[in-house]
Amino acid sequence: MSLIEAKDITLSAQIGTVSVDVLRRITFSLEKGETLGLVGESGAGKSMIGRLFSQLLPPGFAVSSGTLTFDGLDLINLPAAKRRQLLGKRIAFVPQEPMTALNPVLSIGSQFNEHLQRLGVRGASRRRELAIQNLADVHLPEPKSLLGKYPHQLSGGMCQRVLIAMAFAGDPAFVVADEPTTALDVMTQARIMALIAEMQQLHGTAMVLITHDLRLAAHVCDNILVMYAGDVVERGEAANLLADPRHPYTRSLKRANPTLSGKRMLLPTLPDQMPGLIEFANLAGCRFSSRCPVNADDCRGGDPTMLKIDNGNEVLCVPACASGARDTIQVEAPPAPTASGTEAPLIELKNVSRRFVSRGKWFAGGSSVDAVRNVSLSIHQGEFVGIVGESGSGKTTVARMITGLDQPTEGQILVRGTDSTVQSAEARHERLETLQMIFQDPQSALNPRRMVESLLAQAMEADHRNHSKAERAARVSELLSEIGMPPDSRRRFPSQLSGGQRQRINIGRALCVAPKVLVADEIVSGLDVSVQAQILNLLLRLRAELDISLLLISHDLSVVRYICSRVLVMHQGVVVESGPTEKIFADPQHNYTRTLLAAVPPDDASAPWPPKYEAVEAA
Amino acid sequence: MIVAIVASTGAMVIGVTLAHIAGYFGGWIDSLITRLVDLWMSFPPVVLSLILMLGLGVGVSNVILAIILVDWTRFCRVVRSDVLVVRQRDYISAAHLLGFGHFRTLTREVLPSVMPLIITMMTLEMGIAIVVEAILSFVGMSVEADVSAWGVMVADARQYMYQSAWGLIFPVLAITITVLGFNLLGDGLRRTLDPRLRQQRHTAA
Repeated sequence: MSLIEAKDITLSAQIGTVSVDVLRRITFSLEKGETLGLVGESGAGKSMIGRLFSQLLPPGFAVSSGTLTFDGLDLINLPAAKRRQLLGKRIAFVPQEPMTALNPVLSIGSQFNEHLQRLGVRGASRRRELAIQNLADVHLPEPKSLLGKYPHQLSGGMCQRVLIAMAFAGDPAFVVADEPTTALDVMTQARIMALIAEMQQLHGTAMVLITHDLRLAAHVCDNILVMYAGDVVERGEAANLLADPRHPYTRSLKRANPTLSGKRMLLPTLPDQMPGLIEFANLAGCRFSSRCPVNADDCRGGDPTMLKIDNGNEVLCVPACASGARDTIQVEAPPAPTASGTEAPLIELKNVSRRFVSRGKWFAGGSSVDAVRNVSLSIHQGEFVGIVGESGSGKTTVARMITGLDQPTEGQILVRGTDSTVQSAEARHERLETLQMIFQDPQSALNPRRMVESLLAQAMEADHRNHSKAERAARVSELLSEIGMPPDSRRRFPSQLSGGQRQRINIGRALCVAPKVLVADEIVSGLDVSVQAQILNLLLRLRAELDISLLLISHDLSVVRYICSRVLVMHQGVVVESGPTEKIFADPQHNYTRTLLAAVPPDDASAPWPPKYEAVEAA
Repeated sequence: MIVAIVASTGAMVIGVTLAHIAGYFGGWIDSLITRLVDLWMSFPPVVLSLILMLGLGVGVSNVILAIILVDWTRFCRVVRSDVLVVRQRDYISAAHLLGFGHFRTLTREVLPSVMPLIITMMTLEMGIAIVVEAILSFVGMSVEADVSAWGVMVADARQYMYQSAWGLIFPVLAITITVLGFNLLGDGLRRTLDPRLRQQRHTAA
């Protein structure tokens, strides 16, 4: 018998007066030491499966049929007291947001101590020893001094390592990792995944990995379930599933993610987005059909059934699709935008440095950090330039200095020839006309009390030429069509929009004054891959229509490869390498660039990844 | 009633203005205003208002003035912390990049964001103003003795409270109901005016 066995689980939710099936007929099993990947976009129900194990379901949610067993124990009907004995000891969890999962007012030591106490370890000194041992196992430097530290003194990656150490402290038989690396950059992701693999081997633990990244899952897992709107749409052996996906959704999921090698293909985009829970009730038959690129006549009637197909996968679709016929054709992408003219650069940075000085106590001297050292770069009309690097490399500081939100301590920033570091009305005016910034987190960048129309026309409020109401309304309509939003969205508040729509509004607001350059700071990192593809294609379309330039700051190398013609690699405040994107990615010269590229899960599922822990750590 | 509205509005205007300046600009002006608030709050409020009344003399307008001078600190301190949070949001930076000046950013972006808090505090303050007015008129420092005010009524009824308790109970009940009413009004206003909360209710329905 398998360690975990889930059979035909259907999870229903009562929303208002409607009853909706949040998960439908979920079946899987997991052996000791195996890893199962649950892949899908937000709203697919993958986290709900994770929650089934702890039975921490939202109010109104209940399992209506099916069974879930762990080592022969029925997890669904287990009394709460018995379940508490299992959780933490035999079933452990690695959460998504490491920073919020740790209590900010307790030291790492006391949280670890409490955890071990729960696990039944007797004696304070024994617990302390064990905590140090566990922290050393996850390669945290100086575990002894770490015990006295607080979560805010650690980076996100370090917090995640502490949580992994805690999860494995009880020598669990089974671990649920819910998007353990989503909040972290590529280098940290590679380190964490390597670490989890190492811990899993050490303890012989079975794991369910919940992720939105198909490539990541293909490298780490043995088997993968691809989920869409509460259904498992495809399942199969991991490498096979990435190499030869058959369900139209799995295909678009794979292709919506830009590649790091080979030809640059145009990212196919699905219309709309994953339906919300309430809409589930109205989706008869195949829940994907309304967005399916194939959507043939024979798939509209009745519920689709799971089909076993020739390559070993199981697909929830009609036979014609599953056999591999009826595939949509992928088009090669046009080359990334380069400079459209030969005029002088719009923006030029000359040996720019930014030093942060922290004031010390009264007589002790302060310390200083060089966030950015000696960076030079130029952006021409129509050019898409990327800056890549892990968090803390100074990328965002460069963006803030260009937009004037921060001032360099040394060097010059020229905006269309005018020195922007000089505080003058002229420089400010030049900057406002030329460049706009798109912020990382649309949630925080859009004032929740303004409606879409007011957000889009916000720049016209500031303008001295008093624009009339009609003028504003006309501009809003123009912008809405430019960013591909329906006209009826103008009277909505940001909270009534989805993440992708918010990011569109964010872009639209920056476009209002018809700027020459957009500075985009990690604008797609919080989005689902299919939405990310929509936004990237939108940027390319805007380039074609409006001849704008873009400075894209990102830790995702494949995104940069897809839309940027030139790239700068930053490491600890210094540009270590720069040049045409294709050349740098194909033949990296600097050691750091090579490590960065190796940290990305490769497109080919048979290539070994993650790299051995020591190899990543050395960089 | 007038006392409540005018006094709390006055306290709100002073408190909120200073809170915005302090929270938004930070630096020395922030520490200056915060220190002033700390200093002001270290006086017991009732004692301070009684002293102010002695200095200003008896009368309704002076009661209002006393309440404003005592209670602006309450607004200032609470609103400042909210402004500090809002200032960190990206949409404030975005507004700067769109060419908004400091004044426009404050009135168009920051102020609406802290509005729910201000409304809640405002209604609480109205309740407090009514109580303070009642206290002051009880000790005869507000209106003249022949004008009817709840405080005066309580004071008058106190002499006969063993003979007829109702004379005392009714004004007290009136004060309680009014204060409660203002608090409930504040809750309701905040719920209707905040788009985020409104959204939640729609989806729940």
